[in-house]
Amino acid sequence: MDVVLLFAMIVGLLLIGVPIAISLGLSSIIFLLTFSETSLASVAQSLYQAMAGHATLLAIPFFILASSFMSTGGVAKRIIRFAIACVGHLPGGLAIAGVFACMLFAALSGSSPATVVAIGSIVIAAMRQVGYSKDFAAGVICNAGTLGILIPPSIVMVVYASATDVSVGRMFLAGVIPGLLAGFMLMATILFIAIRKNLPKGEWKGWGEIWASFADAFWGLMLIVIIMVGLYGIPGIMPGIFTPTEAAAVAAVYAWLVANFIYRDMGPLDGGEVKIPLWQKPQALFTAMIHPATRATLFEAGKLTVTLMFIIANALILKHVLTDEQIPQQITEALLGAGLGKIMFLVIVNVILLIGGQFMEPSGLILIVAPLVFPIAIELGVDPIHLGIIMVVNMEIGMITPPVGLNLFVTSGVAGMPMMRVVKAALPFLAVLFVFLILITYVPILSTWLPTMAMGPEIITK
Amino acid sequence: MSAHAQAPRNGGYLIDHLEEGAIALILGAMTVITFVNVVLRYLFNSSLIWGLELTLILFAWLVILGVSYAFKKTAHLGVDALINIAPPSSRRLLAIISALACLAYALLMLKGAWDYWAPYAALDRTSGHWFPTGFEKTRDQAWYETDQVPMLSMFKWLEPLINQGETYDKLPRVIPYFILPFGVALMVLRIAQATLRVIIGRQESLIVSHEAEDDVERVAAANQE
Repeated sequence: MDVVLLFAMIVGLLLIGVPIAISLGLSSIIFLLTFSETSLASVAQSLYQAMAGHATLLAIPFFILASSFMSTGGVAKRIIRFAIACVGHLPGGLAIAGVFACMLFAALSGSSPATVVAIGSIVIAAMRQVGYSKDFAAGVICNAGTLGILIPPSIVMVVYASATDVSVGRMFLAGVIPGLLAGFMLMATILFIAIRKNLPKGEWKGWGEIWASFADAFWGLMLIVIIMVGLYGIPGIMPGIFTPTEAAAVAAVYAWLVANFIYRDMGPLDGGEVKIPLWQKPQALFTAMIHPATRATLFEAGKLTVTLMFIIANALILKHVLTDEQIPQQITEALLGAGLGKIMFLVIVNVILLIGGQFMEPSGLILIVAPLVFPIAIELGVDPIHLGIIMVVNMEIGMITPPVGLNLFVTSGVAGMPMMRVVKAALPFLAVLFVFLILITYVPILSTWLPTMAMGPEIITK
Repeated sequence: MSAHAQAPRNGGYLIDHLEEGAIALILGAMTVITFVNVVLRYLFNSSLIWGLELTLILFAWLVILGVSYAFKKTAHLGVDALINIAPPSSRRLLAIISALACLAYALLMLKGAWDYWAPYAALDRTSGHWFPTGFEKTRDQAWYETDQVPMLSMFKWLEPLINQGETYDKLPRVIPYFILPFGVALMVLRIAQATLRVIIGRQESLIVSHEAEDDVERVAAANQE
């Protein structure tokens, strides 16, 4: 009963416009002070230890930083050019290329809104120019952008791994096949619509253009290789050498090097249209470190880290309350006692997350829901990695479901369209993602096959 | 963002600059330390043994220091679905209530932050469960050190002051934990200022609806040109 009050208070505070972090934190503090002997000092300690005690979460600021360096300049533009060269000649080619570009960019960045902004700001305008309707363009990008949190690296997956003590490496691998599948399902749908509605196709520019655009985008795409090879090694040749946090830090430094010295889209060598070669300005090796552009990117990434981590830290305080009160155990007993089956359980998880995803920032929601449903999942024999992927896909769909999906807002801003039009435009593809969710939920092998192959079967400790 | 660009170059601008610089510097330092440690480990087979611990301390500093800045710039995420459809008069009332909720959180956290930090600085905790009702005699924990972070000579003055003249081998915990009372006090200040702005009607709410709001504004502005 007390707990119902706790959640009612959180939702109430959220709805009247209290920041998410404060809603979670204030409700938890009031609950703790009223019903337990816990002191405020230990709450403050939880706040500090949310960062200082979680080495896994340290990957978050580094992935945010890497993706900020990658988004500052022309990496998105180069990826889009490569995508158009590959699939632009198909019916509906530019839309398919938009999805493809979102998939590639998702592999550089861990966040969905960032993907929509980076790819959408270029592709939506380009699609309008060759004769697509604005609605179609917005609908495509709005949906494809959600792949940002499914295709590794993914901030939401880091949070899930940290909440449930599963390996981040496994979660990342588990996202690969579902991510590709979702991308291909969206592309196939576009192709189908394009053939029926006779949407414009681009011209085939030949293998030369594919090669040239690939060479141009190569240094950006290498980031994916560095993260994946660093984490998992090359099968049969070398083992993985980085922890996820180290991989993220290396990715951030690499992205900075690429942006400053190879693409020269920012920093001391960025002369606008003309890029200054390094040998003409060798001191740039040092000045790049203190260049205003570097500082500005560090600051932007830092600010985003602060707002996300403040939510996560307060969600951890709430998690503390829930485990103290043994809520997960109570829920588990109640539901298992009521004869809950695996299928029903997964349906319930889907529904809770779809509703919650409307209101909450994905990382915070995962931190709250994961400890509640995790013990039940283990009891019912649901694979923890599979559960994680289900949760991530649910978050994706929550981002594009009205009334308050995150990606809907971002797309409406980027495309300059009213919310309701974006909602309508996104609907056909939302249906595709729903089918995808059902597929992911009831075909666990899609998520578990790759991590099991690469890292061996997982040991589940109850 | 636009309000920021128009701000005159006065004291407020300087403080902004200082806070933004601190956020950038801390994140930069975290990245460099972690990266250097990776390079040392895999190329030279050695490492900075204090690397991870220091990075985690900096991580806590980044976030706890940054929270107050984010309140100043109204950058915290929230749900604006309901307040957007509320009539303007009740919208203002809701904004004031939510500002007061933030203030309550920050004040409670301030007591907690002081109580947690004080023993490490050889100071007394406050008594009271909800509100400070005075100071109570607290067992001195000033001799607690971090696990690996080396002592810096710039903090030598702490030894006679709180450690009865004994030398610290490692950095004492009073220093990393200092961010709690400091950061939270700053948070109280920024929330109080924001609350005043809401009350006199210069600010509509304390939240933004999503993390990419700045970026979207930039793109939207570019589209209009």
